[in-house]
Amino acid sequence: MTPFLRKFRILFSTQFALMTEYRAEIVIWMLSGTLSLIMMLVWMGQAAAAPGGQIRGFSASDFASYFLATWFVGQLLVVWVAWELDFEVRQGTLSPKLLRPMDPMWGHYSGHVAEKIVRFPIMLVLVGLFAWLAGARFSTDWRVYAAVLGLVILGFTVRFLWEYSLGLLAFWTESSTSFQEVVWLVYAALGGLFAPLAFYPQWVQDIAVWTPFPYMLGLPASLIAGKATLEQAGQGALVLLGWLAVFVLVRVWVWRLGLKKYGAVGA
Amino acid sequence: MTRYLRLIRIFTGATISAQLEYRANFLGAVLASLGEVGVALLGIAVLFGQPGTVSVGGYSFHQALLVVGFFMLTEGFISVFVQPNMSKIAEAVRTGSMDFTLLKPIDAQFNVSTRNLNVLRVTDILIGLGLIFYAASFLTVTLGGVLAAGVLYLSALVIVYCIWLALSTTAFWFVKTQNMSELFNGVFGAGRFPVTAFPVPVRAFLTFVVPIAFITTVPAQALTGGLSPLLALASPLVAAVLFVGSRLFWKKAVGSYTSASS
Repeated sequence: MTPFLRKFRILFSTQFALMTEYRAEIVIWMLSGTLSLIMMLVWMGQAAAAPGGQIRGFSASDFASYFLATWFVGQLLVVWVAWELDFEVRQGTLSPKLLRPMDPMWGHYSGHVAEKIVRFPIMLVLVGLFAWLAGARFSTDWRVYAAVLGLVILGFTVRFLWEYSLGLLAFWTESSTSFQEVVWLVYAALGGLFAPLAFYPQWVQDIAVWTPFPYMLGLPASLIAGKATLEQAGQGALVLLGWLAVFVLVRVWVWRLGLKKYGAVGA
Repeated sequence: MTRYLRLIRIFTGATISAQLEYRANFLGAVLASLGEVGVALLGIAVLFGQPGTVSVGGYSFHQALLVVGFFMLTEGFISVFVQPNMSKIAEAVRTGSMDFTLLKPIDAQFNVSTRNLNVLRVTDILIGLGLIFYAASFLTVTLGGVLAAGVLYLSALVIVYCIWLALSTTAFWFVKTQNMSELFNGVFGAGRFPVTAFPVPVRAFLTFVVPIAFITTVPAQALTGGLSPLLALASPLVAAVLFVGSRLFWKKAVGSYTSASS
C-alpha cells in the first residue's frame, strides 16, 4: 500500500466514526432537502389534471419515478465543504492542518464519502417507502445501476471540487457561502431538479449540454426512471471527465493563490 | 407598553449599527436573495412553460406569481426578524447566558424575540413586495380584497413566528435546534406553490398539520377574491391558538430551565 493510500484509509476510518455519531442529524439533513419531492407532487398533480393524464409523455407515475430518482441522486451529490472551509479560514483552524503531510482536501473528501455511506441505507428505506406511496417504478436492469454509480461518483467529485474552489474564496471575501447559493441555483435548474431537462425551452437545453450539471443529476435520475439509454450515460461520463480535469486545475490554482494570501494575513 | 416600544427602538438601533460594520456582507445577502427568488420563479416558470398549461392547481400564472410574492415576503420576514433571534436561543441555553435574559425586568420572550435583526436580508422583503405589486397589476383587485389579505397576512406572520418560537424553545431540552429550523425550511418550501397544486392528502397535511397553506396561499386567495369564508376565519383562529400554545410552551420551558452547569 502506498503511503498516500494508507493515510487516506486512516482519514476515512476516523471520518466514518465521526459521521456515524451524527446519524440522527443525517436523517434530518436528508429530510430537509425536499425541493425535488415538492416538485414531484406538483408535477404529479399537473399530469393528473392534463388531458390524457400525460405531459410530454410523462404520466403521474413517470414523474414520481423521475423525481424520486432525482432526490436519491441529489442526496448522494450533497456537498457542504464550502461551509467548512469558510469556517476554517475565518477561525484559523486551517493553520494546524497545513502542517500535516497531506493536502487538507483529502480530509474533507473522505468525510463526505463516509457520510454518504452512512446515509445510503436510510435513503434506500425512504425511497422505497415514497416509491410505494407515489406509485413510482424503477429500472430493473443492473447495468443501469452500475452506470448510475459511475456517473454519481464522477458528478460528486466534480461538484466537490467546484464547491471547494468556491469555499476557498473565503481567503478573499466574507460572502463566499452566498456565491455557493447562486451556483447551487444553476446546478438545480440545469441539473433537472425542477423538471426533466427536456421540459425546458430549447435554448436552455442547448446551453445545458455543455455544462456538467445535466449529467450529474438529471441523467442518472432518468436512467433509474428508465427514460435514458446506456449510450447517453457513456457520453455523459465523457463530459463529466472533461469538467473533472477543469475543476482539478481550478482548485489547485485557487488553493495556491489563497495560501499566499492566507500566509500574508495570518503570519 | 410604551416601554416596550422604546425598547424595540433601542434594540433596532443597536443591531443595525452593529451590522453596518460589515458592509461587504451586503453583496452576499443580495446574492442569497437572488438565489431564493430564482428557485421560486424557476419552479413556476417551467410548470407554465409547458404547451397547453394555463393553470397550476387552478391558479393562473399571475395568481401563482402572487403566491411566490407572499413566499418571498415571508422568507424576508423570517430572515430579517425571526431567524436572527431564534437561532440565538439555543446558544444562550448552551452557554448559560439565558440567565441574564431571564433576570432582566422585561418579559423574556419579548427580549429573545426582538433583540436582533438581520437588516441585510431586507432585499427579500423588497423582492416579495415587488412581485406582489407586479402580479396584482394583472389581476382584478378590490379594496376589500387588499384589506382582507392584509389582515390574513398578519395572522400568517404570527403563525410563522409561533412555529419558529416553538421549535426554538425545544432548545431548553435538546441543546441543538439548528436542525429543527432546517426541517421547517424544508416543509416551508412547499409554500412556493399554491396549496391546491398538491394532491389532496398533501394539501390536508399542509393545511391542518403544518399550516403552510395559511402563510402564502390564503393571503393570495384573499387578494384575488377567491377565498372561502371558512378559511378566512380559520387563519386568525389558527394564529391565536398557536400564539397561546407557544407562549405556554415557552413559559414551561423557562420554568424547567436550570442554567447551563447545574
